[in-house]
This record gives sequence, structure tokens and C-alpha cells, in this order.
Amino acid sequence: MKRFKYIITIAAGLIFASCHKLAVAPLNVLGDDAVFSSASGITSYFANIYKTLPIEDFKYEQNNGFNQDWQNFYHPGALCGEMVGPYGSTYDGTGGFGYWPYNNIRTVNVLIDALPKYAASFTDAQKNQWLGEAYFCRAYFYFALVKRYGGIPIVKTVQDYPADIGTLQVHRDKEVDVWKFIGDDLDKAYQMMPETSVRGRANRYVAAALKSRAMVYAGTVAKYGSTNFVAGDAQTAGYVGIAAAEAPGFFKQAIDAAKLLEGHYSLYQKNADKVQNYINIFLDQDSPENILVKDYSLPSNTAHSWDATMSPRYMTADGLSRAYPTMELVERFANLTITNTDGTPKRFTSTGDIMAGLEPRLLATVYFPGATLRGLTFDVQRGIYEHFTGTAADELSGNPPNQSFRHLAGSTDALFSGKRIIGFTGISTDGDDKTRTGFYVRKYIDPNKPIAECGLYKSTTSWIDMRYAEVLLNRAEADVETGDNADALTIINQIRTRAGATLASPGDITVDYVRNERCMELAFEKHYWWDIRRWRIADRILDNTRFHALVPYLVLNEGKFIFLREVENFQRSYTFEKKFYYEGLPGGELGKNPNLYPNNPNY
Amino acid sequence: MKKIINGLLIALTLFTASSCSKVDNLQGPNAGFKGNIIDKTTGKNILTETNGIQIKLEELSWSATPTPQFIPSKQDGTFEDEKLFKGHYRVTPYGGAFWPVTGTELDISGTTSHDFTITPYLTVTNVTSNLSGTTLTLTFSLVAPIPAGLPQIIDVKPFVNDTKFVGSGANINSYSDVNKITLNSSYADVVGKTYTLTIPNLKTGRTFYARVGVRVDDSFKQYNYSDVIEVQVP
Repeated sequence: MKRFKYIITIAAGLIFASCHKLAVAPLNVLGDDAVFSSASGITSYFANIYKTLPIEDFKYEQNNGFNQDWQNFYHPGALCGEMVGPYGSTYDGTGGFGYWPYNNIRTVNVLIDALPKYAASFTDAQKNQWLGEAYFCRAYFYFALVKRYGGIPIVKTVQDYPADIGTLQVHRDKEVDVWKFIGDDLDKAYQMMPETSVRGRANRYVAAALKSRAMVYAGTVAKYGSTNFVAGDAQTAGYVGIAAAEAPGFFKQAIDAAKLLEGHYSLYQKNADKVQNYINIFLDQDSPENILVKDYSLPSNTAHSWDATMSPRYMTADGLSRAYPTMELVERFANLTITNTDGTPKRFTSTGDIMAGLEPRLLATVYFPGATLRGLTFDVQRGIYEHFTGTAADELSGNPPNQSFRHLAGSTDALFSGKRIIGFTGISTDGDDKTRTGFYVRKYIDPNKPIAECGLYKSTTSWIDMRYAEVLLNRAEADVETGDNADALTIINQIRTRAGATLASPGDITVDYVRNERCMELAFEKHYWWDIRRWRIADRILDNTRFHALVPYLVLNEGKFIFLREVENFQRSYTFEKKFYYEGLPGGELGKNPNLYPNNPNY
Repeated sequence: MKKIINGLLIALTLFTASSCSKVDNLQGPNAGFKGNIIDKTTGKNILTETNGIQIKLEELSWSATPTPQFIPSKQDGTFEDEKLFKGHYRVTPYGGAFWPVTGTELDISGTTSHDFTITPYLTVTNVTSNLSGTTLTLTFSLVAPIPAGLPQIIDVKPFVNDTKFVGSGANINSYSDVNKITLNSSYADVVGKTYTLTIPNLKTGRTFYARVGVRVDDSFKQYNYSDVIEVQVP
């Protein structure tokens, strides 16, 4: 019995002795040492940053943010007349989604802060590359903020948290200072990074490309925002809006940044056929035009649904389409000849004849009635006229003379005189899963993918966030804004040559012409929304505006097709209020930090 | 067994009932705010439409930077909201076609009445209407009570509807928007001129209500209106 007492005493003594180490570093949390002391640690840290980079790709929605689900037709272009789509009005997207990525900015700041401490482990070149990349990423985040809200707090150090709340409640900075801060970060990034990088990551030219984009934004905000603005406390204080005198400086920086890329990137011209060449820009992985791309894959569950949601179900395996290019976009390229000189609608043997002689870039950007995809034809037809007399203008007026002989249908099963009333690809009186405008998006559509593989979350076409054509257009725009029309002409003609368009002459070059070129070249690439905002023309062009369609009909007694330029069949009206040139600061952030007041005008 | 369960249920019900002894003793939104928005040039209520002007309410009892609420105007230039919380507010006429004014601070309790006086950017004067067949023509001219600093005049537009409620938010588009005249002119180019708006192809046998609207390129781009004219198309 006594023996037990001893055993228990000794055991108890051992237990006490075992507790001498309690401050053990937890194995499931990686500290600075683990991450920043090795190249692989830093690479994985960067993977995290790049993943959160606000790239407005296929899966971006103006009102919901990044990495949304399969419904890629919620495209910002459908808010503002590049397309018509599922949005009921412009208001659906003007409020944004309260983007406030200061957690991501902190992640970058931690790296910038910590890396010099571990400098001994790396070569200077390697360290500079990473620091440069960090500056690039930080600029990318601030660019996404400033284009939405105007001036926001610039946080360039790691804030101490938890700390006195007063030090965390930072004030807004002036809009002009934020743009200059972005320019400075990108200058640093350019100087520190090497000339090349792995796919999907930044090098010095990527930083220069972003700078040309950011500076041309800042220049136009200064130039046009100083005449078309909403008055308010934030405007008086400079939190939104930039003095017009700053504009030339920003434009010059845009030109200088764009020139840095000369000779390092070039327009894609691998295929002699201009239409096919333009299509391949967006499909060829090895395009010399790509500056920054975002890749997708099936195993990583990152694939998108562009193929399944921008073409009709007739040509895909799943999903549906809901966003369609407008006639107004098509008319940026050319006015289609759909009436004769006497005003009567021109008769076409087949709808595809409308494509004859059109600019190759236009044909590669939108699918016209009569085009083919995966062996199927876009047989767009809205209905049948038993017979048609008189002019197109009369038919579109308040008293259409032929309308009682017109037959429309909701279903592709409906027949008139043994002929299908509508095509398998539209235009239906029912729903919007077939075209409303006569057109479908062609850009980024992969025609070589078999129908069976065009399902939801099955597309892996890379998103091109920056390509050389955009940099050239940034430069041309800054050129024409500062009076260097000769340089703008040279650049515009490089782009138009590749596009297969007729060349511009010196007399053509105006601000509007360069802008129009940009809208054509970058159609559906999620630039248009931001462009009409920064040009401060959105409230003028979206003013109870309805958009138009190219509507094919079969004239039964003649066996021919006619096209009418009708208002798209949902007759939606789009209006942009001036206050939407800036989004309001997110309410939750205002609640946490009263120093963010004043909010933007009229919020 | 059954008795025990029943007993427990009765006890539970009693406990549940007795737990509700505390009532919400905060006051509901039992105050109201109403009044007229008066046109300084005529002394009468301003000609507007539903939601053509808003009254911005900022409740200052709790915070210096409250989230504002808005009371929309009615077409007759009045406004009313009977479901407000009692408190100290800053009230400002806002968002319409008039020269901006600064707000007034007041206490709202019971039903508080307050009239605002504002100066419209433009008034539509000398309105005449003529119906010939199915075509309505409206002639009018524009007068600015304060010409200095008036923003550019964007357009003049007829608004036609089949009810008395007519304005930019309630009209028949094919009679209204398509018949506008785009001006984009300064006031100096507009003053003294007579404008004619033509609305063709009105449907026969109907009664329509029409008025003229004009707007300037300010922050809100709302309309100044003429009176509503009743038009009977035979």
C-alpha cells in the first residue's frame, strides 16, 4: 500500500516537471519568419495578393463585385448601352458593391514593411522585384478605389492594431493626391522590377501600362470633372474632383508611361485573315499583345462561363444568354445600309448579306444575323410580314401601315404558312434568352470548343486585363487631349490597320474620334462603363435613352428579308444621374470611421 | 404520464406568458411633417411633379452626420409624411429645379407644418395650346427669375399622359420624349424667344393632359413645368 503512495507522489512530480515549456510557437500559424525568409514563402504570399487583385474579368459584376457565379451576362456594358441585358436600368449598377479592400492593402503593406528585414537572404535583384511587385499591386488596389470613390485615405504603412481607435480612424485624402500616389507607386514599381515576369504576374512594363491607364483617367477627371460636377462639401474640400490645371501633367505622364512599352509589346498580327486574326487576339495564349492576363482552370475550380452565357443555348450545352450588343455600338463602326434611297427597306436574299463589306474587327466583335458558330447559323428573325409596302420610316412611326400583316411569336415552334416565325436564335416576344438586338457577343467566344463542352464553369479562356492596344489608345487619347494630333493619328492608324478598317486622315483626329476608336477596339472588355464616367458624358448619353436593334423580318410574298432599326423589344430606358460619377462611400465604413465624412455629393 | 405532460405544458405556457411582462416603451414614429413648397416668384405652390423635389430630413438628435431621409413632393407642390420619429431635424428642400437653399433646423413633434420658399431656375410663361386634328401644338417662352449664373439650358420637352399626373416620371414616351427640342444654350440665347412644341398623331377619342417642362444642367437635371392643360381629342 505504501508503495502506491510513493508511485503517486513521483508521478505527480513528473507531471509538474513536464509543464516547464508553455510558450511554444503554434505550428498552425505561420509567422513572418516562415513566410519572408524563403523564396517559396514569398511566392505563395504573392499568390494570395494576386488572387484578390481587383481585375474586372469575366466574373466581375458592377453591383456584386469579383468572382461571382456563372451569370457572366451581368456585364457592366449592359448598364450603359454597349449592350442591353438583364439589368432593368442603369441604377442597378451605379451603387457599386461597397468595395473597400484595405485588408488587401494591409497585406501588401506588411510585405513592404517586412521584406527589408529579411534582405540578407536574397539578392538585391530578387528583393527589388518583389518590392516592385508589391508597389504595383498596391497601386492596382488604390486605382480600383479612386475610380469609384474619388479621394480615399492613403494608408502606406502597416497600421498598429489593436491600437487607440483614433489612430485608425484616418481621414480622406484629396483625389488629386491619390492619383499622384498611384503614379509614384507605379514609378517605383517600374524602376524596381525586371523586364519579364512569369505569366499572370507583373513586370516593369505591366506597371507602366497600368500607369498609362491611371494617368489618362486622372487627366480626364481633371479636365471634364471640373466643369461637369455635383457641388457639395466633398467637392469643395477636393475629396472629389481635380483642378483643371492638373490635367496636362497627368496626360503627359500617361504618354510617357505608354512610350516605355514601345518595342517590347506589339499588336497581334499572326493571321493574314483580318477577321480570324482579330478573333485570335482573345484566344491565342502566346499573343505578343498581352500585358497582364488572368488564367483559369477546371481543376482549380476557377473556370468561367463566358461561352455558355454569351451565346444562345442553341449553340451551347448549358446556361443561357441575356446580354446583347446594341445597334448603337455597331454604328460606331459603320452605318449599315438597310434602306434604299427612296426609304423602302432594302431586300436581302439571306440575312447574312448584311455583313458584306463590313470592317473585319466589327465582324470579329459581334455575331451578325447569318454568321455561324460551331456549325450552326445565327438564324435571327423577329417575325414574318405577309407583304411589305412603303418606307421603313412609316413602319416605325406611330401608324405603321404593314403591322396588321406582321406575325411575331414567343416560341420557335410557331409557324405561319409552314414557315417558322422566329429563328432559333431569336428574336422572341417571350423572355430574353435569345437576342433582343439581333446581335450576339463574339469577342472571347471560343468557336473551336465543341458544343458539349460549352457548359457552365467550363470556359478557361484567359482574361486579358491589359493589352497593348489599350496602352496605345491611352496614349492616343492623352495625345489628342494635349494637342499632339500627329502622334495620335499614327497610333490610331496602327490600330485601324490591324483591324482592317479604312485609315484615318489628319482631319479626322478629334477627341471624339479617338474615344470612338477606343469604344470599338475595347468593346465588351469592361472599359466602357468607366470611360463614359471619366469623360463625364454618361449623364448626357444616358438620359432616358432607349437603345436600338437590327431586326430582320421575312417578307413572305417576296421570299426576301428586310431589316428594321427598331427600339430593342424590352424598350428599357437608361438614365445616369450626375451624382453617380462617384459612388457613395460604403455606409458601414462611414459608421466605423466618422473621419471619412463628408461623403460624396448627394449621398 | 399524460397528466404529468399536461401539467408541464400548462406550467410552460404560464412561464412563457409571464415572461412577456416588459413592453417596448419607446415611442413609435408618431410625429408628422408637412407643408408647401412655394415659388418665390408667384407666391403660390411650385409647379412640380411627384418626387420632382424632395425634402431632405437629417435627424440631428443622435449624430451630426445622420443618414438622410427624404419626403417626395406631390404634384401640387405640397409634401407630407405622417410616420416620423419625434426629434430635432435639419430640413432642406433638395433635388429639384431651383436655386439651392440652406436647411433650417427645427423640432418635429405632433404634426409640424413648415413652408419652404424657393426660386425656380426657369418659369414657363405665355403658354398657349392649340389642337388641330390630332396634332397638339404648345407655344411658350422661358423666363429666369435669376438670370445670373444660370446653368446651360438643356432642352424643352412636352409631357403628355392620360391621367392628371404628368411629368418626367409619368408620361407616354411616344408623345413626350420624342418631341423634345434640344437647346444646350445659355439663357441669353433663350430669353425673349417663343418656342413651339408639336405633338402629332394623338389617339382620337381620348382625353390627354399635357404640360411643358424645361431643365438646366445643374446637379439634378429636374424640370420646371408649366400648368397642366387638359386636351380632348375628338
